[in-house]
Amino acid sequence: MPNDKSGQDALYEEAINTFGGALDRLARSYEADADKRRDLLQEIHIALWRSFEGFDGRCSLRTWAYRVAHNTAASHVIRQQRARSQTLVGLEELENVPDDGEGDQAADRRYALERLLKLVQSLKPLDRQVILSYLEGLDAASIGEITGISPGNVTIKIHRIKNILARRFQEGGRRGE
Amino acid sequence: MANESTPNDRLKSIWQNQPSGGIRMSVDEIHRRAGKFQKKIYWRNAREYIAALVVVVFIGFDFWRTSDALTRVAFAMIIAGVVYAMWHLHRRGSSRSLPADLGLASGIEFYRRELERQQDLLQSVGFWYLGPLIPGPVVLMVARACTHPGHLRPIGLSLALFALVFVFIWRLNQRAARRLQSRIDELNGLEGPR
Repeated sequence: MPNDKSGQDALYEEAINTFGGALDRLARSYEADADKRRDLLQEIHIALWRSFEGFDGRCSLRTWAYRVAHNTAASHVIRQQRARSQTLVGLEELENVPDDGEGDQAADRRYALERLLKLVQSLKPLDRQVILSYLEGLDAASIGEITGISPGNVTIKIHRIKNILARRFQEGGRRGE
Repeated sequence: MANESTPNDRLKSIWQNQPSGGIRMSVDEIHRRAGKFQKKIYWRNAREYIAALVVVVFIGFDFWRTSDALTRVAFAMIIAGVVYAMWHLHRRGSSRSLPADLGLASGIEFYRRELERQQDLLQSVGFWYLGPLIPGPVVLMVARACTHPGHLRPIGLSLALFALVFVFIWRLNQRAARRLQSRIDELNGLEGPR
């Protein structure tokens, strides 16, 4: 357990070297505006560095880093939601909403990324945590550890995510389907 | 990095390989920015206090100008109410920095805590906001009625309007608190046994 500044600094450096890219993507999925995103990312870095003062190794560095990042970003979403009166949806609602995308263009990687980002940004904080973790390649157990959602509910949510992605980015991307 | 053997793997690969516009900070830089960030929070809080001070100065001016004792009592009560509401909002409201135990709390725990904090503020709005702000204006209107006995009707109407507005605000807050409760229940349903 690090009880001095150098231990805290070392943990921060290790976390950033390993998960820096994932944190960038996480900030991107929580904030669409470029300037605010930069502020949010900076806030995540500072929160992560500060948090390592209390890191006791009870969970992995990955779980810790993701929790700090998601919780900081969720706090940002709550603040923004109040300011913008933004309506966020859950995976359950999204599963039943018809898609307005264009299937032909879904083959294009850049277009697919834009749509994926839009989809993630429309989700409620907790569902956003699940889909982001899924896209980062985390398994169900790790997602449960980060979010606190029970294993059964994580499985249901991942199933919904797969359905939504399949409908929107594969066969369901076509108009009228 | 995800391979692309299935359509969903392709999406994961697109996601994980997106161009990064992120930031990299050295440890020295993070120390510097953390200090700067603390100062930013300090000034944000200071701005709230200054806003309250401006209100207090304006009402204080009226307090100083009036010679009627009951009116003075009313202004003093308004000042006390504003100060209490601001102090309470600052202590429990939105202008705080993030808690240090962010890594210990799972997504559900953190989100629920934030919703419960908001709900608590909304539910108790009568105690920390509406309640303290009622006595001052009521005493002020009583003082007006004493000094202007011919204006009882408009003063009574103002008092009734004032009561209506406060009841309306209170009900709006209670409704918002109930809506938050359904979100909290939703989170509880997602969590495993605690």
